Amino acid sequence: MTPIETLGLTKYYGDLCAVDHLDLSVGNEIFGLLGPNGSGKTTTVLMLTTLLQPTEGSARICGYDICRQAREVRKQISYVPQEMAVDIKLTGRENVALFAKLYGIPRRDEAVGRVLEMMDLSERADDLVRTYSGGMRRRLELAQALVHEPKVLFLDEPTIGLDVAARRKIWDHIRTLRSRGMTIFVTTHYMDEADHSCDRVAILDRGLVIAVDSPAALRARVGNDIISARVRGVPRDSFPEGITLLGEREPGEMVFSTDHGSEKVPVLFHWLESQGVAVQSLSVREPTLDDVFLSLVTAREDGYGFDDHKFRMMLRRRG
Amino acid sequence: MKDILTYFERDMLRWVRGRISVVSALIMPAAWLIFVGLALPTTFSEHYIDFITPGILVLTMLGASLQGGSLLIFDKILGFLNKFLALPSSRESILLGKIVFITTRGLIQATIILVLAGILGASLLSPIGILVSYGILAVFGILFSAFSTTIALFLSDHDAYAAFNAMVSMPLFFTSSALMPYAVMPSWLSPIAYWNPVSYAIDAIRSLQEGVFAWSRVGALVLLAVLVVAICIHQFRKVTL
Repeated sequence: MTPIETLGLTKYYGDLCAVDHLDLSVGNEIFGLLGPNGSGKTTTVLMLTTLLQPTEGSARICGYDICRQAREVRKQISYVPQEMAVDIKLTGRENVALFAKLYGIPRRDEAVGRVLEMMDLSERADDLVRTYSGGMRRRLELAQALVHEPKVLFLDEPTIGLDVAARRKIWDHIRTLRSRGMTIFVTTHYMDEADHSCDRVAILDRGLVIAVDSPAALRARVGNDIISARVRGVPRDSFPEGITLLGEREPGEMVFSTDHGSEKVPVLFHWLESQGVAVQSLSVREPTLDDVFLSLVTAREDGYGFDDHKFRMMLRRRG
Repeated sequence: MKDILTYFERDMLRWVRGRISVVSALIMPAAWLIFVGLALPTTFSEHYIDFITPGILVLTMLGASLQGGSLLIFDKILGFLNKFLALPSSRESILLGKIVFITTRGLIQATIILVLAGILGASLLSPIGILVSYGILAVFGILFSAFSTTIALFLSDHDAYAAFNAMVSMPLFFTSSALMPYAVMPSWLSPIAYWNPVSYAIDAIRSLQEGVFAWSRVGALVLLAVLVVAICIHQFRKVTL
């Protein structure tokens, strides 16, 4: 039984197409849905978790239809939204016990103890969550989500707002879960994290999936090396052979792909100078998923689908 | 049924560990009792505090119930509601858990107001009368907590909910029979007051002071509560974002 399968899954908000005919098939893997803010990641997750009705198309979770068999779907899954929603006036154990009760789990205390242990929270389990760090709160949410042993786990931006060490720990846990046979569907806009940990990723732009593959295969699409150039001015002619412009990351920073980076640096430098473009710096590095994204996406403005509320919440957490 | 109690337990734990909110909700009704009940020079009643106490008890429940809607607003803003809606347990248990909690909290506050009224010299009902008043207050609390929680389900943020609360609570209170009997009301106000659900509860409790059980007022209140709760359950069952 395929854990997640979508067929032309589509969502319109009025005239705005948030998710456009999504066709995905996800097996027992860590599957990353990547894209900038407003690209339709959360909308997709909300539909797959039965919280949002699709405008068109359908999806099946472990064989159950998300519209007609919503309750069966909910038995198979767990969902951790990007807002960190744990009760700070309750202890860690009480927070997990709440979900264990709602799931109607037999031998509850045992199950609660087990997931707290799994998430390295046993020692602090009986402290109020108010005293937990951000990383601990996120792990507590994972513990809540795991207490009924779901087949599919949906994580919406699981590492947002966490420091580097906490992020690494969350991803370690996610990988452990996958090795136990769980399917994990995760959204993120941190390309480097997806590159490290996802088995496959789908890149989403304005509601449309523009690529699905393993991170390594996607990186191979943009060539062996990336040359990043800080310049002033705009070249007029077409680029020299063996060098492709992927795009402009920000004004004045051009990103090129090539197969022999260090050899092409002098070529590119002389060519840019001959075009009357002042070169401030040139550097060679390996391609990242960011470069893949840049090559696939045309310049975009961040106007639509902007959730003002979530933005303010994020700012508040940072401050 | 078990789920309702689980949701109830969650809100109760959060409330009793909150401290300040336990006290702050009592300030308003207590102020009414003291500054209006004791101080207002009325001509239609010798003992105004006896007259106004049922009104203040119902005001306490009204305030508690409408305030209770903000619980769901916060669950929604902070992401709890999404997590609960993605659970296989029935969605109406979210609503029913809130109703049970908000009504229980309201009854606890009403008890404190009742004790305060006694201290201020109000003559108290018989034990059976008090028991029946609690029943009436409970039905009233169920009606308004279901209403406010369902409104909260459809509002997107706390400002919108605060606006709704302000728009509903004071007008409902002032157009009820809480502060004066129908006989002394201006003629335009008395029919409005008579049909105001807040008056159903106040009139029913006031009748108990004369040893009468007001069947029609209690009946109207129960009927309305059943109707509103049924509509609200339906809304919760079908909700998507």
